[in-house]
Amino acid sequence: MVIAGLGVIAMLSEIFSFKKLLYPLVLLGLLAAAVLAGLDWNHDTRIPLFGNMIMFDNFSAAFTIVLSFTGFLWFIMARDSFNEESSLTDHYALALFSLAGAVVMVSFGNMTMLFLGIEILSIPLYVLAGSRKTDVHSNEAAFKYFLMGAFASGFLLFGIALVYGATGSFDIPKISLYVAEHATNLPGFFYAGVLMMLAGMAFKVSAVPFHFWAPDVYQGSPTTITAFMATIVKTAAFAALFRLFSNCFIPAATTWSGVVWTLAALTLLTGNITAVYQQSAKRMLAYSSIAHAGYMMLAILAMNKFSATAVLYYTASYSVSTIVSFTVLQLVAAHKGSDLLESFNGLAKKNSFVAVVMTIAILSLAGIPVTAGFFAKYYIFTSAIDSGFTALVIIAVIASLIGVYYYFMIIINMFFKESTDDSPFVIGAAHRFLLIVCTLLILALGLFPDIILRFWI
Amino acid sequence: MKDLVGLIPLLPLLGWFITGLFGKKLSRTAAGLIACSTVLGSFAISLGLFFEVEHLETHRFTVDFFSWISAGTLQVPFSFLIDPLSCLFLLIITGIGFLIHVYSFGYMHDDDGFARFFSYLNLFVFFMLLLVLGSNYLIMFVGWEGVGLCSYLLIGFWFKNTAYNKAANKAFIMNRIGDLGFLLGIILIFLTFDGNIGYAEVFDKAKYMSSGDGTITAITLLLFIGAMGKSAQIPLYTWLPDAMAGPTPVSALIHAATMVTAGIYMVARSNILYALSPVAMEVVAITGIVTALFAASIGLLQNDIKKVLAYSTVSQLGYMFLGLGVGAFTGAVFHVMTHAFFKALLFLGAGSVIHAMSGEQDIRKMGGLKKALPITYMTFLIGTLAIAGFPLFSGFFSKDEILAHAFDHNKVLWFLGMLGAVMTTFYMFRLFFVTFWGKFNGTKEQQYHLHESPKSMTIPLMVLAVLSLVGGFVGLPEIIGTHRLEEFLAPVFADSKMKLFHAPLSHDTEWTLLITASIVCVVVIAFAYQYFVVKGRRPAEEGEEISPLAKTVSNKYYIDELYEALFTKPLNWLSDKFYKIFELQVVDGIVNETGKLVNTLSGVLRLLQTGRIGFYLFAMVLSIILILFVTTF
Repeated sequence: MVIAGLGVIAMLSEIFSFKKLLYPLVLLGLLAAAVLAGLDWNHDTRIPLFGNMIMFDNFSAAFTIVLSFTGFLWFIMARDSFNEESSLTDHYALALFSLAGAVVMVSFGNMTMLFLGIEILSIPLYVLAGSRKTDVHSNEAAFKYFLMGAFASGFLLFGIALVYGATGSFDIPKISLYVAEHATNLPGFFYAGVLMMLAGMAFKVSAVPFHFWAPDVYQGSPTTITAFMATIVKTAAFAALFRLFSNCFIPAATTWSGVVWTLAALTLLTGNITAVYQQSAKRMLAYSSIAHAGYMMLAILAMNKFSATAVLYYTASYSVSTIVSFTVLQLVAAHKGSDLLESFNGLAKKNSFVAVVMTIAILSLAGIPVTAGFFAKYYIFTSAIDSGFTALVIIAVIASLIGVYYYFMIIINMFFKESTDDSPFVIGAAHRFLLIVCTLLILALGLFPDIILRFWI
Repeated sequence: MKDLVGLIPLLPLLGWFITGLFGKKLSRTAAGLIACSTVLGSFAISLGLFFEVEHLETHRFTVDFFSWISAGTLQVPFSFLIDPLSCLFLLIITGIGFLIHVYSFGYMHDDDGFARFFSYLNLFVFFMLLLVLGSNYLIMFVGWEGVGLCSYLLIGFWFKNTAYNKAANKAFIMNRIGDLGFLLGIILIFLTFDGNIGYAEVFDKAKYMSSGDGTITAITLLLFIGAMGKSAQIPLYTWLPDAMAGPTPVSALIHAATMVTAGIYMVARSNILYALSPVAMEVVAITGIVTALFAASIGLLQNDIKKVLAYSTVSQLGYMFLGLGVGAFTGAVFHVMTHAFFKALLFLGAGSVIHAMSGEQDIRKMGGLKKALPITYMTFLIGTLAIAGFPLFSGFFSKDEILAHAFDHNKVLWFLGMLGAVMTTFYMFRLFFVTFWGKFNGTKEQQYHLHESPKSMTIPLMVLAVLSLVGGFVGLPEIIGTHRLEEFLAPVFADSKMKLFHAPLSHDTEWTLLITASIVCVVVIAFAYQYFVVKGRRPAEEGEEISPLAKTVSNKYYIDELYEALFTKPLNWLSDKFYKIFELQVVDGIVNETGKLVNTLSGVLRLLQTGRIGFYLFAMVLSIILILFVTTF
């Protein structure tokens, strides 16, 4: 089933000849992929494909749905910015390949597939980050991302090699079995391998101190690509990290949980605190995205029966809110020619619809009740407290309080400050549709959190 | 009809939604029509239900909509309970509510906030319907709070006037005090009845409990505090007279059909709980009679036409609580109904007078209005006779039923009740004679503008007049005919009746009481006629010398000033101190310092982001080494 979904995606991207049809086809294809993944739901047994290379289970299905749907939303958002470029179809294809990589990452059954998924995801992104060829920042972002990404891949590969050395297999179930049976007498380099893999993945999710690339790359890349990184890449990376650790390395938890604890705490504090000082809204959102990685790491750490749901819920709500905030940011930046926080001044008077939608998205990111973000944080925190990580939850709560501060700066600018000019602020129908759908989703997830939770319970 | 139950509250809600959102785009006629027709629709369905319930074997049914809250042991379904009691209230709310809507159509016609006014009215009706329809205390509470909110919005409808806003605040705050009691009562019910707050579950259990239980007394007293706030009983009554600030139809809505009857409804609904607690019953009865007398005495010397009516409402509510307290549940509900008729009539009549007098509310400036306003005059007369308890008018039977029970319970209560009735009759006829008889005392300009109100205002008056005239016949005392209302409500009060059983009054006693009441009423009217018409006395003008007692009474016993000195000022002082010391220094200090710290940290951490890729890579590698190093050892 998943191949069918992927096939659609891959095939679509090959159609170079009729550009006009491509866009609706991509959108339909993504929706179809989401539906197909939904059909695979609850086939009780896991579906092994390609000799266990890919293992399609409920976890993968759920995340594939989230990913495809986010992709769908992202394509609506990205339409205009792609039209500016000459090589439209190339970008479509690259984004779709990257998305395919993300799907592989959430359904791998073998270490090599994990690595391949990450590379399929990353390589098109390196190109996309630099897709604004004439822009120095874009080029710089692409280069930084690529160079550091290569390093991280190196760590990951090294880690995989070490784990293979210790367990004698790339196959997830086999590794899992081996680790469980020899929990007490694993060689030291196995743990080193696990930690190396953790570091490699931490790079992808932009956890501190492997986050340095994120602010620069997020800011330099075209806003649409940044949105892609902040939503799809982050979702896939977290799902992969969760899948890897929950399937294989639970017996070795004593070794890595301390590390994850420290990384999470550092990520939460650094992300939120640094965001406070930023003048550029885009850079601020980049730091906020780092901070959100910190929250999700709590679920990895907690690793109990709610964690998978919590991560799923968090990625879904976070992705939707992020899409909205980046869409609005892109619109504002296009309108004002700058992505500084000041560009938001007086938005409420110019276009109250956009201002209200943005406010809802930001409230969701800040985790204020009635929005999806509140329950997302709530589930993550309860899951972590259940596993006894109360101290870290306290840090997380403090961090999110700091978060409220800088999130509200945008709201204050929109509603209480005057704009310097009075040119009208208009948005297209597609973006309006996107914003409405996302806002409804944010509110729906916040009002009826059961929709997603019911999957697992 | 069962399937349509949901529509009863939904229609006004829809009306609120439409008139509230699109009010500016709709024409006045359209907005008014929508608002009126939604309430009319609810009334039609309620009427259908009313006839249906009577023929049901169980006399009740529940309509489940969805599971509203499920948390642990707490299961609260969103469901409605239809039984004779809720049916009767539905009819009063939607019926009287509809007439008030129609009346407002004429009354508010020149107001800028026309659509806004109707949207609030509809919302008010919606919450009141929710209050009486809910099948558990929580839904009642939602309606309860909603009604409080709407009264706030409507009392402060003309929000440009500061005094009106203050009145709105006062109503809201007084109600909040009561609401807290109600909420605590609900929580206590939840704890006492094993996590149940549904009527069916709670009352079924209560049936088998023995009388005099301490917890039940606590519950009923807490609930009664809620009722005190909403139904304006001592000591939480001061908001109601001030609620006059709202447009007159609002006063009618608050005083007659909704809001203040909520307290009565709640006590009547919880009748079995009260039946279990003689102490609480006694408290209710005494609060009721004291309020009745107190408010009636204030009413004697008020000169604002709406203020007089406001105190009469407080006083009449006191009678209803007296009825509840002495076990005359049917009598109290009966009085709610007749009171709804004549009080709505009187308020709308007063509105018509004010309308004709170009906004004048002081009765000393009126007089001789009967020629200019014939319809208002006739209907107002009927309303006055009804509230005075003139024989055969609606108020006569309901008041008599309450007083008869009071007599049975304790002769002193009966005597005080009669005293209150004397005062009621006197101040109502004082109001009536001063306003409509004698000669005109207003300005020339006012006299020139005197006119009867438009049809949309007089028709509701006439309908209400007919109801006030004949409304009492559904509840004839046993000695004259059948008490249809009692038969209808019997299933609701059956259990408490068993608990409170006592022998009915002998027929002779009952006749005596009826005739005494009639004679007293006629005598007082004659006296008032003699005093105000024949002798031509008029209420004292501003600045005129009056006795100290009269001064105290006309200043409402200085209760507002007392509250101001006792509660408002100390609270303001305390809050000022807290603001200056705790807030400005402690809280702000902590918050600002934290903010500064975060800012500084942010400034430092920001510098780590050098932009140089070499440093980034170095940091990554260093971190890995650190991680490996630390975990190995």
